[in-house]
Amino acid sequence: MKKIDWTLLISVIIISIFGVLMIYSASYIWAEYKYGDALKYVKNQGLFFIVGIILMIIISKIDYKIYLKKSNLILLTCLILLVLVLIPGIGTVRNGSRSWFGIGSFGIQPSEFTKLGLIIFVSKYLACNEKATKNFKGILPVLGLLVLVFGLIMLQPDFGTGTIIVMSIVGLLFVGGVNFKYFIRLGIVGVIGIVGLILAAPYRLSRILSFLNPWSDPLGSGFQIIQSLYAIGPGGLFGFGIGNSRQKHFFLPEPQTDFIFSIISEELGFLGCVIVVGLFITICYTGFKISKNCNDRFGKYLSFGIIFQIAFQACLNLMVVVGLIPVTGVTLPFLSYGGSSLLITLCSIGIVLNVSRFQR
Amino acid sequence: MLLIFFLFALIIGKVFYIQVFSYEKLNNYATGLWSRNLPIEANRGKIYDRNGVVLADNVTTTSLVLIPNQIEDKEKTAELIAPILGISYEDMYAHVSKKTSIERVHPEGRRLDYETADKISDLELPGVYLLKESKRYYPYGEMLAHTLGFVGIDNQGLSGLELMYDEYLTGSYGAIKYFSDAKGNKLELSEIYEQPQDGIDIYLTIDYNIQIALERELDNVISKYNPDQALGIVMDPKTGEVLAIASRPSFDPSNYEDYSTETINRNLPIWMTYEPGSTFKIITLATALEENLVDLEEEHFYDGGAVTVGGATIHCWKHGGHGDQTFLQVVENSCNPGFVDLGLRIGKETLFNYIDNFGFGEVTGIDLNGEASGIIFDIDKIGDLELATTSFGQGVSVTPIQQVTAVSAAINGGTLYTPYIVKSLNEPETNSIIVNNEPKVVRKVISENTSAKVRYALESVVANGTGRNAYIANYRVGGKTGTAQKVQDGKYLVGNYITSFMGFLPADDPEVVVYVAIDNAKGVTQYGGTIAAPIAKNVLNAAISALEIEERYDGMTKEYNYGDKRYYTLPNVVGMDTKEAVTNLKPFKVEFSGSGSKVIYQSPSTNSYMQEGEVVRLMLGGD
Repeated sequence: MKKIDWTLLISVIIISIFGVLMIYSASYIWAEYKYGDALKYVKNQGLFFIVGIILMIIISKIDYKIYLKKSNLILLTCLILLVLVLIPGIGTVRNGSRSWFGIGSFGIQPSEFTKLGLIIFVSKYLACNEKATKNFKGILPVLGLLVLVFGLIMLQPDFGTGTIIVMSIVGLLFVGGVNFKYFIRLGIVGVIGIVGLILAAPYRLSRILSFLNPWSDPLGSGFQIIQSLYAIGPGGLFGFGIGNSRQKHFFLPEPQTDFIFSIISEELGFLGCVIVVGLFITICYTGFKISKNCNDRFGKYLSFGIIFQIAFQACLNLMVVVGLIPVTGVTLPFLSYGGSSLLITLCSIGIVLNVSRFQR
Repeated sequence: MLLIFFLFALIIGKVFYIQVFSYEKLNNYATGLWSRNLPIEANRGKIYDRNGVVLADNVTTTSLVLIPNQIEDKEKTAELIAPILGISYEDMYAHVSKKTSIERVHPEGRRLDYETADKISDLELPGVYLLKESKRYYPYGEMLAHTLGFVGIDNQGLSGLELMYDEYLTGSYGAIKYFSDAKGNKLELSEIYEQPQDGIDIYLTIDYNIQIALERELDNVISKYNPDQALGIVMDPKTGEVLAIASRPSFDPSNYEDYSTETINRNLPIWMTYEPGSTFKIITLATALEENLVDLEEEHFYDGGAVTVGGATIHCWKHGGHGDQTFLQVVENSCNPGFVDLGLRIGKETLFNYIDNFGFGEVTGIDLNGEASGIIFDIDKIGDLELATTSFGQGVSVTPIQQVTAVSAAINGGTLYTPYIVKSLNEPETNSIIVNNEPKVVRKVISENTSAKVRYALESVVANGTGRNAYIANYRVGGKTGTAQKVQDGKYLVGNYITSFMGFLPADDPEVVVYVAIDNAKGVTQYGGTIAAPIAKNVLNAAISALEIEERYDGMTKEYNYGDKRYYTLPNVVGMDTKEAVTNLKPFKVEFSGSGSKVIYQSPSTNSYMQEGEVVRLMLGGD
C-alpha cells in the first residue's frame, strides 16, 4: 500500500472549492429572484461538497477490488433505478426530462450513478475476459448492455448523459484492447445513420450548423450560445473581477449550471479559463498516469474509465460553451451546480485515489 | 488520452479566439445589450450678433422620463403623476406600463416648469426620472424673427436660420449610460455620463444696436400710420454685410403657432417684389454718368410738367413741372421727365445691361431662405415707353435687398457684393471659427469716379432736395426718396403707395446704407420724403453711434426752406470769457458747468454743424 496521489487529491479539492465559489457568484441573482434567498444554490452545493469530500476520503481508503465482486449488483441496482425513474409518480420531471428522484428540494439522478456503475461493470468484464474481447463477439454483451442503458436514458430523455456513457464505454473498450476495426465499422454505421437522418429531413442540418452562426436564430437555438459568447468575449484577459458578471443578471438562463464556464470566463477572463482547463488537464494527466501504473487490470480500466468520463464530459461541456459544438445539455464536472453529480464525481475520484495506492 | 488533451487545447484556443479576435464585436453587442441610455439633449448652438450679443439663447427646462421596467407600483405611479401633469389616469397608466425601455410623456411631460418638476421629484418614485433639457429662448422676442426663424418642440429648426443651419446648430445627444439586467432593472454598476456635444454657434453680421433701432422705428411707423406692411434693411455697402433687417408684420418665434403662415414665411426685405419708384433713379443716374451722357452741373433740363414718349404722356410728380433745372437739380427734385430724358439718352440695350449688372432680375444670393428674383422687362419687348418708365423706376419689379445691394455698388466705388448675414460659424467650447464668410465680389459695375459723382448727387438730394428730412448735421447723408404706385391686376392702385427712402452716410466714404419701405401708410400724404426719410434718419443716427462713425465738417450745408430750422457752424469759444462766448453762440442754447469766467472746454467741438436752438455745453474755469 502506497500513499494516495496528492496531486490528484489537491487538484480535485481546489477545483471543487472553486466550483462552489463560482456557483455562488453565478447563482445569487437568480436565487434571490426565484427563492428570495441568494444563498439557496450555494448552500445546497456546499452541503454536497462537504459530504462528497468526506465520502471521497472514505472511499479512497476502501479497497477498490470490492467493486469487482459487487459489480453485478451495482449494475442491476442502476438498471432498476433507471427503470423506476421513468415511472410517473416516482421519477419527477425537471427541465423537460424525467431524470430525477426528488427528495424535497434535493434531486438525485440515477443516470449519474449509472455512469459509474457501467464503468465498474465494463472494467470487470474487460479484466476478466481478456481473450474474448479480442473479437467482436466478445464485446457484443457490452454493446448490448450499452444500447439498453442508452435506450433507457433516452427515454427520460437525456441525450447529454447518454452520449457521455456511450463515449466513455467506447473509450474504455478501446483501451481494453478491442480491435480498432470494430470501432471504425461502428463509426461508419454511425456516420451513415446521421447522413440518412439529415437526408430524410434537411432542416436538421441547418439546425446542427446553427451553432456555427448562432446569430441566424438569436432568440431560438442560438440564444444560449449568443448569451454565452457575450459573457466570454468581453471578459478579456483578466475579466471583470469575481462577482462582476453582467450576463448572470438574467441574460444567461441558469448560469450556475451548464454555462458556468461563461461566467468564469466573464469574471476571471482568459486567465481564469486557463486555470480551470489547467486543473482539468492536471486531473486527467495524473488520473491517466495512475491508470497506466496500476498493476491490476481491473484497477487500470476502472481508473481510466472514470477519468476519461470526467474529461470527456468536461470537453463536451466546454466545447458547447465556447461554441464549438451544438448545445447538448451537459454539465461541467466539479463546477456546474448539481448535487448528485458532484457527489458521484467525488466518489469516483475517491475510487481513483484508492487505485493510486496500488501503483508500481 | 491525446484526444482529450487535444480537445482541451482546442477549447483554450477557441476561448482565446473569442476573447481576442471577436472581442470588439462581442463587447459592442454585449454593451448594447447591457447598457441603457437616457439621452441628454445638447444645447443648441447660440446665435450672436456681430459683437457677441446673444440673439437666440437656450434655457434649461426639465422633462419627465419613465423607465417602465423600474416602476414597481404602476397604479400608484400613474395615480400620483397624472394630476400633476394634468392628464387622465388612464393615459398615464398606459405610459407607465408601456413595453419599452424609455418612455416620454409627450407633450405634457416635456418642458416642465420648476414647480411641476419639483412636485414630481418630491415623490421619489422608482423608474421616474427628470431630465434636464435645453429649450430655445429668444431674449428679444420679435426682433429679427424672420431671419432667426424658430424651432419646434424637439428643438429642431423649422424656419429661418434655425432651419438653414439646423445641422450645425443641433449638436449631438449625450447620454447617461447605465447597465441593466435582462429585466430592465438598473444595476449597481458605474454609470457613464456622456457629455452632449453642444451645437455650433452662429455669429451674424447683424449689429444689435442698429437692429433694435430699425425694429423700433418700424414699430413706430406701424402705430403712427397703420401701413399694410413695412420693412427695412441696413447694410455695410463696402462688404455686403447686412447690419439690420426687419419685416412687418412680425411674429414671436416662441409662439409661432399663433401667427398665419404668410406672416411667418414672408421675410419682406428679401421676399417682396414691387415697382421701386424713384429710388431706382439711382441706377439710371449711375448709368448715365458712367456712360458720360450727362454733366450734372453744367447741363440744363427744362421740365414742363409732362413728356410724351411712344405716344403716351408721362407726367412729373410735381404739377406744372420743375421748370429749368441743372441735371443735379433734376436728381434733387426727383424729376420724372428729366430721368426719362436720361433713359432715352442711354438707350434700352445699355440701360438694361446695367440693370442686369447691378444685380436686378436675379436673386442676390443672400444666405437666407425665400429670396425672390423680381421681374425685369424682356429686352425684345421694350419700346420707348418701357425704357422711359424703367428709367424712373416703374415697370420693373425688384426686391428691397436687390435695391440695397445695387445702390451699395453705386456708392461704394462701383463694386457689387453678394449680401450676407452669417459672419461665421464658431465651435462653442473654444470659440474657434469653423466657417468664416468673407465679402464676395460679384462684379465691378461702375468706376470709382462715377460712384463719387453719384454720392455727390445723392448728398445734394438730402441737403437740397426731396430727401431733406433725412439730413443729419456733420455726417454727410446721401439718399433718394421713392414713392411707388402699387400694381394690382395690371392696374395702378389709387392712393396706395409704397413710400421708401434709400439713405447712406458719410457721402465721402459710405459706411452704412439704410433702406426703408412702408406699404400703404394711412392718414398721411404718401411721399417717401415725408414718411420714410425721417425713419431712415433715425436708423442712420443709431448706426452712427453703433459703428462710431466720425463727424465730417466738409459736407453740404442744408438749404434753407421757410419754416426749417436753420443750421450754423459752431465757432470756437474756448478761451473766451462767458459773455463773449454767449454772444458768439447766439443761435444756440448754452449750458454752463464748473465755475470761473473763462471757457475751458466746449461740447460739441468747433466746426460742428448744428441746428439752431440745440444745446452747447461749456465748461468754465481759470481766471
